[in-house]
Amino acid sequence: MTQTPQTAPEPEVMIRLENLTKRFPGTQRNAVDGLTLDIHAGEIVVLVGPSGCGKTTTMKMINRIIEPTSGRIILGGEDVTTTNADQLRRRIGYVIQQTGLFPHLTIGENVATVPKLLGWDAARTRSRVDELLSMVNMDPDEYRGRYPKQLSGGQQQRVGVARALGGDPQVMLMDEPFGAIDPITRERLQNEFLRLQSEVRKTIVFVTHDIDEAIKMGDRIAILQEGSSIAQYDTPEKILTAPANDFVRDFIGGGASLKRLSLSRVRDIELASWPTVSAADSLEQAHRVLRESDHSAVLVLDTEGRPARWVGAEDLRRGAGQSLDRIGTVPQAVVESRATLSDALNELIAARYAVTVVVDQDGRHLGVVDIEQINEAIRSMRHSAVAEARTEFADGRTAP
Amino acid sequence: MEFLEFLGNRADDLLEMGLAHAAIVGAAVLIATVIGVALGIATYRTERPREFVLAITGTFLTIPSFALFILLLGPLGLGWPPVLFALVLYGLLPVVRNTITGLREVDPAVIESAQGMGLNRRQRLLRIELPLAWPVVITGVRVTTLVLLGIAAIGAVVNGPGYGEMIFTGLARVGTPVAVNMVLAGTLGVIVLAVLFDLIFYTVQRLTTSRGIR
Repeated sequence: MTQTPQTAPEPEVMIRLENLTKRFPGTQRNAVDGLTLDIHAGEIVVLVGPSGCGKTTTMKMINRIIEPTSGRIILGGEDVTTTNADQLRRRIGYVIQQTGLFPHLTIGENVATVPKLLGWDAARTRSRVDELLSMVNMDPDEYRGRYPKQLSGGQQQRVGVARALGGDPQVMLMDEPFGAIDPITRERLQNEFLRLQSEVRKTIVFVTHDIDEAIKMGDRIAILQEGSSIAQYDTPEKILTAPANDFVRDFIGGGASLKRLSLSRVRDIELASWPTVSAADSLEQAHRVLRESDHSAVLVLDTEGRPARWVGAEDLRRGAGQSLDRIGTVPQAVVESRATLSDALNELIAARYAVTVVVDQDGRHLGVVDIEQINEAIRSMRHSAVAEARTEFADGRTAP
Repeated sequence: MEFLEFLGNRADDLLEMGLAHAAIVGAAVLIATVIGVALGIATYRTERPREFVLAITGTFLTIPSFALFILLLGPLGLGWPPVLFALVLYGLLPVVRNTITGLREVDPAVIESAQGMGLNRRQRLLRIELPLAWPVVITGVRVTTLVLLGIAAIGAVVNGPGYGEMIFTGLARVGTPVAVNMVLAGTLGVIVLAVLFDLIFYTVQRLTTSRGIR
């Protein structure tokens, strides 16, 4: 097999599932049927699929909450299929949807569970607990001594994540960890978790039935069909732009292009320019700029360069005698450059003049995004994904 | 007035009987709790043994106490041995049943996450399941105590210790003025003990149940 020179060295395989099979007693079919999967170190791999596809069973076989019927589990090069399960689990963080915090223990004691099992001394355990609570944005002094029932659902799940990280495991298993949380809190927890992951770089197996969550959280997504057979195992970009088959296409559902937009950021595309004037300019200057452009309004910037007003020809006529920052309308559709294209599109659909104004983190005007740019971005993504898929196919590197 | 006088005259006797009554019930409760919790732990996860243990301990409770004491006369003789033995049998059901109920009511998600953390079977039982089932278990022990306080009085038929002696002597003298006083004093003694035991259990339950599940 030829290795193309420009590709980075293959990352280390942290978890290897080999021909993993599970048949529950009294059933006709295998719940998981000969699954083989490599999971690279430091990546979030999302197992996603319709209910009953075997994704949760697959995940629970990794820490052997469910013992496989046949096949092998290899963790960091070591075959752990038949080693001591309790020892194994102390090396693997585990987060479940119902949180499963121990209600009779304080938050601090909950988080200290694995360090205590590992025999850490009291001082080391205490500082680890405080470190972990801070990592999940909970003030240790405030929450250490509380009980789970005194916390909201979102806070409980934060503690669940902190507890799973207790023994500093290399691997974490997460079974729909944000599934039982309201949408607004879920979004926040997802973002917090991604930020946390960028610091700790764990190898994470994440189960969900929600394709949008999979796209957001996954470095790589395994779309599973019945019996945990892999329909496609690839990056979110590739799955959205080049679905491997009809099952994947159906599972992604409508709006693959829209979903794709949430993977790119405004700063990654070239912004369009729009005629601007300063708030200190006269109405006549604004008029001239407007006439020389082929747009129906100019954007008025304040002294700091921040978007202040949209001013059209009609506004100029009616507002005679007033200064530019008192007439026209206040721009509503404004996003920062770190926003996703999806956010930008969402704004521009409703916006006047059908553009979204893009600003930097201090709120200064950078340019605008209109539908043309978004369309262009989608086309180029698809183009590059298809091209890449072709090259890989030619190299014989693709999995089936 | 006459009754109070009677209580005053017999205060020493009554106190002594009270201590004996409390001692035999306390010992029976302790033994029944140890055996009952052990049986509960041994059987709560498997259906057949669980049903079996509940059926047997339930049957014990249906044996009339008077009859059981007499039946135990042969193998165990007179005095406290047959009483203690019978009380332990009567005390098992509430403890076993509440232990099983308490352990089975623990949230499966909590047990699964404990397993996922790497707690072994024994650690899960001792650190997670029993502490969570504890309020239910101790309620069973409370019920057992109240039941046994009453039954212990009947133990006087085989010369058992406690207020039963006072009550039975009174019954033997029905028609005499002192009879009512004796039965009343014995009964009152049992009630006072019941209240005291319950106070102790309330305190123990408060002190031994985590604030997180109160």
